[in-house]
Amino acid sequence: MFQRRSRGQKYTFWLRDGFRDGESEERIKSYHRPHRRSSMQKSEYTCDHRPRVYKVFENVAQKYDIMNDAMSLGIHRVWKDALLHVMHPQPGAQLLDVAGGTGDIAFRFLEYIRLQEERQKRRAARSSQTPSWQDISNNYSTEDESRESRAVVCDINKEMLKVGKQKADSLGVSAGLSWVVGDAEELPFDDDQFDIYTIAFGIRNVTHIDQALQEALRVLKPGGRFMCLEFSKVNNPILSSIYDAYSFQMIPVIGEVIAGDWKSYQYLVESIRKFPNQEEFKGMIEDAGFYCVKYYNLTGGVVALHSGFKL
Amino acid sequence: MAALLRGLRAGRTLRGLSSGKTGPTSRVVAAPSAVNPQCSNLNRGFHRAALRLQDESKSDKPPSSSSSSSSSSTTYHEHYQATEHDTAAEASQHDSASDPAAEQPERPNTSYQDQSGEHGEEYETEEQLQSRILTAALEFVPLHGWSMEAIAAGAETLGLSSASTGMFYNGAGDLVLHFIAHCNSQLTEILAEQHKQVQLGQAEPKKTADFLREAVETRLRMYIPYIETWPQAMSILLLPHNIPDSLKHLSSMVDDIWYYAGDRSTDMNWYTKRAVLTGIYNTTELVMLQDSSPDFQDTWSFLDNRIQDVVNMASSAKQVQSTGEAVVQGLMGAAVTLKNLTGLNQRR
Repeated sequence: MFQRRSRGQKYTFWLRDGFRDGESEERIKSYHRPHRRSSMQKSEYTCDHRPRVYKVFENVAQKYDIMNDAMSLGIHRVWKDALLHVMHPQPGAQLLDVAGGTGDIAFRFLEYIRLQEERQKRRAARSSQTPSWQDISNNYSTEDESRESRAVVCDINKEMLKVGKQKADSLGVSAGLSWVVGDAEELPFDDDQFDIYTIAFGIRNVTHIDQALQEALRVLKPGGRFMCLEFSKVNNPILSSIYDAYSFQMIPVIGEVIAGDWKSYQYLVESIRKFPNQEEFKGMIEDAGFYCVKYYNLTGGVVALHSGFKL
Repeated sequence: MAALLRGLRAGRTLRGLSSGKTGPTSRVVAAPSAVNPQCSNLNRGFHRAALRLQDESKSDKPPSSSSSSSSSSTTYHEHYQATEHDTAAEASQHDSASDPAAEQPERPNTSYQDQSGEHGEEYETEEQLQSRILTAALEFVPLHGWSMEAIAAGAETLGLSSASTGMFYNGAGDLVLHFIAHCNSQLTEILAEQHKQVQLGQAEPKKTADFLREAVETRLRMYIPYIETWPQAMSILLLPHNIPDSLKHLSSMVDDIWYYAGDRSTDMNWYTKRAVLTGIYNTTELVMLQDSSPDFQDTWSFLDNRIQDVVNMASSAKQVQSTGEAVVQGLMGAAVTLKNLTGLNQRR
């Protein structure tokens, strides 16, 4: 009990102001000693989260995927697959996956597009059983013209990208994949570059979310889509209490056992509680300048998938 | 590297500024990195304006941003001008004609500010944009069928990325329903035009059977460019979540045809007439799908026969009714005569 309190203290200044949920404030306060609160209020304006966030993910990079499976009981795969299904990318699309780290979304994207292209080829082959010479010559020429779909994985943390590259090598995927180090608030890309911008479970780690949204708007082509997968508010009270108990009791323990890092996973759970809820985040996305903003609740609101278009 | 790119972008805006405008350069350089929601409104407005100007290159419609640009402060005005050059420079890569067109309407459009008064234009434009994408997608239907690929290709012709197809949650169903609505509105225009001609006395009013035949033929001819893929479209319309919408379109079309044919009935006839025409229309559409005669002659003769059947049936129904009445009267007479003969009618 005492152990947990002392570890929790160090992370007071990571929590931004503006508690939206009074209940979670109570719970978080229980982890800190009372006199620390003044330092929290002082440092929230001056502190930049980036070095701390960097440290957290540097520590967890090697075990990131295993921890994801353990903490979410494998459901994170379903969430990421749902993201791809809603995205429904067309062949030739360019994806930017920010805070993509180990590259889960990018791999799924390339796989989806590969299947789409196969399906299209099969359909074309079925419909034109006896192709004319015109069709055959067209097929030869279009193979060079069709744009190759590309996935760029951008992350602030080199360790995570390294793990991602190793995964790519072991899966044998290398075509159309790039790994770039960059900060979501200041992307190292030109304007109007990408068809789809995704950020899966990364935007809560960004210090200035509105800046990240502005950057997303900037690098997207007109008509491009912004998609964000993030932990969000559970409205159902029963599910909410189970979820809270699981988050605060189980997850740091699993973190300690598997990754040997209690503190990082406690940071994770607290940052989830700090993040705005579905409607507020939708408002923020609309303020940044996206249209047709919609969100889908997955697993009863544990995860929300927000989507907006740059029109 | 991000700083390098920012510098490049700032350089571009400076070049844009120097090409014709004056303005505080330092403020514009600072502006891109500290984007204000108001600026982003202007940027946003201009993106849409750029899109619109790309398709309708000599459009008279004022972009919504022009009204906000003249009312905003000078610094934001200059930033807006700078980004106008920025994106105009990019737009010129796609379409050189749009660059001078993009510049010219900007200045005179400030006079439209009071006349247009379109405050809610952003929201209208979403639906308008969607219908424009779908209209553009219709060209690609013969190639890709009624599918998301056709919509993606249509979006690309408008200069939007293929990811914008995500806006259409119903996918191919949206495309088919849009096409049907478009055909129905075209039919209504044609019928209204003919009606006006008759009202003005410039044309003779047609008989009901002829009118119906011509209306159905006009409507079905709109499918001819897509007849190869029309079976796929019909199957999409039969999907459970599309049935309410497709029935709505069908019933409104049939209602329109009967209205312009002059039907003002308020009794059971209203339902029977529409049911009959729906049956005729659907069966003719099915015949058209497998018709291989030149200019679909077989289909039109099928249509003629069906309408003739209906007319015959109407007249034979009347005959049956009058015959029935006559028969009943005859029977009554025979019964009275019999009663007289047997003496049952006498009162003693």
